[in-house]
Amino acid sequence: MSQFRKGLWRGALAAAAVAGFVTSAAAQMELKIMAPAAPGGGWDQTARSMQQALTQSGIAKSVQVANVPGAGGSIGIAQLVNNSKGDGNQLMVMGYVMVGALLTNKSPITLDQTTPIARLTAEYEAIVVPANSPIKDAKELAAAIKADPAKVTWAGGSAGGVDHIAAALFAKAAGADPTKINYIPFSGGGEALAAILGGKVTAGISGYGEFESQVKAGKLRLIGLTTPADKATADLPSIKAQGVDLEIANWRAVVAPPGISADQKKALTDAMDKMAKSKEWQELLKAKGWEDSYVSGDAFTKILADEQARTKEVLTAVGLVKS
Amino acid sequence: MEAFTSLASGLAVAIQPMNLLFALIGVLLGTAVGVLPGIGPALTVALLLPITFKLDPAGSIIMFAGIYYGGMYGGSTTAILINTPGESASMATALEGNLMAKAGRGGPALATSAIGSFVAGTIATLGLTLLAPYLVEIAVSFGPEDYFALMCVAFVTVSATFGDSPVRGLTSLFIGLLLGLVGIDILSGQSRLSFGIPELYDNIEVTTLAVGLFAVGEALYVASRRHIHEEKLEPVRGSLWMTKEDWKRSWKPWLRGTLYGFPIGALPAGGAEIPTFLSYATEKRLTKYPEDFGRGAIEGVAGPEAANNASAAGTLVPLLTLGLPTSATAAMMLAGFQQYGLNPGPLLFAEQPALVWGLIASLFIANAMLLVLNLPLVGLWVKLLAIPQPWLYAGILVFATMGTIAANPSPVELVMLTVFGVLGFLMRRFDFPIAPVVVGLILGPIAESQLRRALSISLGDPMVLLQSPISATLLGIAVIALILPFFLKGLGRFKAVED
Amino acid sequence: MTTSPQRRRDAAGLVIALILLALAGLVWWDMTKLQILSPYDLGPKVMPIVVSVGLTLLAIGNGIGALRGDLPPRDSLDWKPIILILGGLAALIVLIAIGGGFMIGTAILFATTSAAFGRRAFLTDLLIGAVIAVFIYLLFGKLLTLSLPAGPLERLF
Repeated sequence: MSQFRKGLWRGALAAAAVAGFVTSAAAQMELKIMAPAAPGGGWDQTARSMQQALTQSGIAKSVQVANVPGAGGSIGIAQLVNNSKGDGNQLMVMGYVMVGALLTNKSPITLDQTTPIARLTAEYEAIVVPANSPIKDAKELAAAIKADPAKVTWAGGSAGGVDHIAAALFAKAAGADPTKINYIPFSGGGEALAAILGGKVTAGISGYGEFESQVKAGKLRLIGLTTPADKATADLPSIKAQGVDLEIANWRAVVAPPGISADQKKALTDAMDKMAKSKEWQELLKAKGWEDSYVSGDAFTKILADEQARTKEVLTAVGLVKS
Repeated sequence: MEAFTSLASGLAVAIQPMNLLFALIGVLLGTAVGVLPGIGPALTVALLLPITFKLDPAGSIIMFAGIYYGGMYGGSTTAILINTPGESASMATALEGNLMAKAGRGGPALATSAIGSFVAGTIATLGLTLLAPYLVEIAVSFGPEDYFALMCVAFVTVSATFGDSPVRGLTSLFIGLLLGLVGIDILSGQSRLSFGIPELYDNIEVTTLAVGLFAVGEALYVASRRHIHEEKLEPVRGSLWMTKEDWKRSWKPWLRGTLYGFPIGALPAGGAEIPTFLSYATEKRLTKYPEDFGRGAIEGVAGPEAANNASAAGTLVPLLTLGLPTSATAAMMLAGFQQYGLNPGPLLFAEQPALVWGLIASLFIANAMLLVLNLPLVGLWVKLLAIPQPWLYAGILVFATMGTIAANPSPVELVMLTVFGVLGFLMRRFDFPIAPVVVGLILGPIAESQLRRALSISLGDPMVLLQSPISATLLGIAVIALILPFFLKGLGRFKAVED
Repeated sequence: MTTSPQRRRDAAGLVIALILLALAGLVWWDMTKLQILSPYDLGPKVMPIVVSVGLTLLAIGNGIGALRGDLPPRDSLDWKPIILILGGLAALIVLIAIGGGFMIGTAILFATTSAAFGRRAFLTDLLIGAVIAVFIYLLFGKLLTLSLPAGPLERLF
């Protein structure tokens, strides 16, 4: 009942907004972006950066950012699907983490119910070991895991998150049983990093940004990044290029509510296309250290479907999702 | 000494008029936002990040430092005056502070909190200047088993908040532990006691519980007894300022609070709550006026407040030396650094000395500024208590609900606030102590997850708790702290017999 | 409390003991649905077991206390102000849930609480509450761009 009424309110407003939209030019777009997380986190920063880029480059007349925190985005997506149906000016920031969170939280709402628009950024996972560790590269780490997965302790983020999935995929690629990995989740990046620096665990896994300054200072040894083999450099080796078949990225993207028209979808996609190319957006990416991985349209829809299937498989294997 | 010359040059940066202005804006904003429960310094820094992007790095980071300290100050003010801790770290302050305010001693309570914060902040910032590189080595060597042992020490000291009945105190503590179970278990990813409500997956917010139990619960309780017991508040009884006696009773707690706050704050998973509880328990045990505890003892305000502020400076140790953000605010400051392409970490001190020392110096300035701003305002703050009772409590409830929805705009969060309010009312009516509930919510999940981590790493061998020297020492302290009161009691009885 | 002849069984104390027992049962029931996923982790069940057992023991302790009449004496209770305050909170929650925004609810909460503490100027207080709500909205919603729950009134600003 309450949601129905709320939906009516939003619906009426959306209708009014659409009526205004038809008569005015695309430059008059008034967008609303929802960050399904509290202010300060990655999704919130993405939403607020989009706001900055879209308004400063004149692609949109105004952009409102709203935070709907909770349960890895489960609450935000429920609000998007239930209350913003057919609203052609609404976007929601989401990311790979949400794919896993929706599965482990047994959310009744799935990403299939949203309208995929575009992938914006990506960050690759990095595997590190303490500087004094005997393990030198991905091959040796893989061999250690294959020998006894219990003795290789991993420090990373929360259970079922991208770090956990990447560690399970690494074990699988190394030929070990992914259900037997000794993965120890930590609540914040700082806490996991302290455990790795203190030599409490064998290896650490997280976004490269978390480790970068420690690696540069020589306190941690970088085993490799989860980049495609051809993206490797001398400083940033790829795990795949070292013969362990693991490739994963923690990406961020935007989706729109369900039930929007083809024209509305095109308008939103066009706006994102323009934003991704804008000078303002490129500058923000550089300032934040985010990698541009822009993909829109059907290509993104396919990526989203593939990632959901793969994640479900891994989470089922480690027991977090029942098949 | 090198550190001091660097600090002097840092002071030269921080004292530039523009930077002083930024510090002032930060301190004012922080105080304003800190008084609203639920909106802490982290959220404020997050929201201001896009605005400060336009400032130069030094200016904006100095402003963040001001917000950080200002926010903590604001949280303590509401804790003392209206029993509404603005953040979980000022909960211990509310215990005795609010009793002091009700007894007309709000002025000295605010003053000892301001001066104690200043003293602790200054000493801790000095510690940051001189000890950071050494301290961080110890901090990083703290493993999960050591944190578990630290939690054991904290659990033992909780009994200081129990009041006179151990059964009722333990009941409160276990209700807190039960609430701590709610949400997704970080180590296994499964939800406990959530009943499929997504809002419950994220665990119960400490501020929602504290504000519900303290502020809403008290409003209900006072209102329900108005027909028999008209509560008359006298804003000032006796001196508005700290008397000589107050100074004498405050200075040791300030120093002891600093000793707890700074090192524990520097631990990556130490936090600000544990040192405030430890300090409260210590002061209660050491005081020469045990009869004052429960009626507004100044030691119970001075100690926790100093611990709270010292831990904030402690948090900066891992942030500046390793780039480890160990609190929400530190994480936001890290984001602030990164905005300017600066990567805090082992190399920051070497690569950006002007900025780092500028920040440390601005912490001194922010601290001094808060003292200068707030001491004259004590008189004004205390006048808040002269607001007619209906408006005072109506205002408290509006603040409590606003803070809750501003931090988390969901009706479910407000329902929780109301439920906790009713719980707080019932606990007051049946004489169950309130503080252990919040303590249980904070300590329970940390103790559980650290123990499980320690045992995962050791592959299930419990000896790991005794093999680590830190853990073994801390467990020893916990055992002594548990036994000592019984022993002393026995000794006391023995002496009494002799007399 | 000193020993006195008035000591008698306390029904409220027994209710408290029963509630604690029920909570212990709830925690135990919830625990049975959990799984142990990692072979090295102590598992998510241990803490609920500790809490459940602890609550059971405390239920017994509180029950014994109630039978011995250990509960402190209580004053009579005035229900009217409690209902007023809880009513104000309920109004705020319902208004936010149905998308009515927080301003109207905040004004109602201010006025009912004030009435609970004996004031009889409901309309004046409603107005004061509204002014505070507007002020908060401008400060936090507009200046700090926090997303506060918006309804028809908020959209006017």
